[in-house]
Amino acid sequence: MKLACLCLVLAAGVPFATAAEGDFVEHYDTIYNSLTVEKRGTLVELRARARGTEALESAVDLSDPLKLVVHYTRSLYGALFVQPEPKRVLMIGLGGAGFHRLFAAAFPDSLLHTVELDPKVLELCETRMQFKPTEKTPVTIMDGRMFVKRNREQWDWLVLDAFRGGFVPPHLKTEEFYRECAARLSERGVFVTNLHATSQLYYSDLKTIQKVFPQVVLFETSLRGNVIACAVNYKSPQITDAGKWPSVESLDRPIFAGRLDLRAIRLEHTPIPTPLLRNAQVMTDDFAPVEFLDALKSNNTDAKR
Amino acid sequence: MLFAFYLVVVVLGILSMGFQLLASRLLNPHFGSSIIVWAWLISTFLAAFSIGSMLGGWISNLPPGTRRRGQAIGALLAVLSLAVTAFFGRALLGGIEQAFTETSTALLVSCLGIFFLPVTALSLFGPQCVQFLASRGTPPGKASGVVYGVSTLGNIAGVMLTAFALIPHFRVSTLLYLWLGVAVLSLFALVRLLRLPDSP
Repeated sequence: MKLACLCLVLAAGVPFATAAEGDFVEHYDTIYNSLTVEKRGTLVELRARARGTEALESAVDLSDPLKLVVHYTRSLYGALFVQPEPKRVLMIGLGGAGFHRLFAAAFPDSLLHTVELDPKVLELCETRMQFKPTEKTPVTIMDGRMFVKRNREQWDWLVLDAFRGGFVPPHLKTEEFYRECAARLSERGVFVTNLHATSQLYYSDLKTIQKVFPQVVLFETSLRGNVIACAVNYKSPQITDAGKWPSVESLDRPIFAGRLDLRAIRLEHTPIPTPLLRNAQVMTDDFAPVEFLDALKSNNTDAKR
Repeated sequence: MLFAFYLVVVVLGILSMGFQLLASRLLNPHFGSSIIVWAWLISTFLAAFSIGSMLGGWISNLPPGTRRRGQAIGALLAVLSLAVTAFFGRALLGGIEQAFTETSTALLVSCLGIFFLPVTALSLFGPQCVQFLASRGTPPGKASGVVYGVSTLGNIAGVMLTAFALIPHFRVSTLLYLWLGVAVLSLFALVRLLRLPDSP
């Protein structure tokens, strides 16, 4: 009985470790995740425990909340080179809203609608990471795929950044889901997804994305294992030639100064590792061994070939 | 004969719980993989185990002729409902998803309509197996313990085999056809075994 009571208390997500001077480390077992929120000085990190380690999901520097602390969130802005006017953005996966604050400040008239599965993530984001959803940055608690199926609106950017304890749910990795996303893009819309180039899953991911979208561009976050894929529904104009992208000067905004270096993002453009995709399997609703492929480690340098 | 009997009991255990993992893979594209999906799925399977066992217990006490007909109908029902899942499962789920916008209602209809019947029909045979052993001299308590113990080992094997060996290498649709084929063979064998004359 005592054990059951203890389990209930832990499951309710009670913080059980604190440090001095406003710093804290809190652990939460939510219905979907095992999360750690840690504040050190002005930095607050949201980490998910998985596979015996903790994956950094998101972080915010409270002294400059617009700063993009986690490197791959900078690379997500590579989508600007493909669709420079994101008036309507759908983001699947909230995390600590690391991406959201700068976007909302840089594009104050744009809508950034987020779909998050875990209500506790939203609560922690609001109470520990000082993110307040607004009319322009609403958050819906729902499965991402369910939202994409049911919401019929069109999006200029559709960003997929959904992880559950370091894993992406298999139903968010399939050809059918990517087709559902493609159907929700505006005429010049771009599908953006955060991939981990550390396992065989990466090659299956890319092959599946390539099967749905005629053009795909990759941005590799240096030394982090993240690759951001930007994919579009159209064949022309060409987006794969970086020489035809809008200039950095035309995309830069004063608020990016010291926070987002678009020149550096442009240099992250990396070719698709075509030879390594030859034997990769396209994932479908009928065949999506995501967990299995994710367990097969890949040489990280392979991703660059 | 007893080896064949226990083999069939293990296989039915594999079919029941492995089917739960396949069911989750069928549901995920339509309703996600949230805790709501798992709550409906697990509850449906437990309800099917419960009702199947009670119905099976009732059938096992019927006169021999009626009991055999009950067993044959149960086997036919299991095979037909598994065939519906294998051939029309995805189409049915697509239709249900369109028809019911409220997730829990859609899941209730999906789980009851597609997964409840095959698992209930498979569960009918637990009590028949207990009676099979009891009528051959095994004390009823021991017979019950052995059948449910062996069946549960089959359940464990079903979960591990499906999760670690089958789903990573085969399409869900292929596995559903495999389930159907194995169900036809194992239920045919079991119905034949159950018709063997009791030991003196």
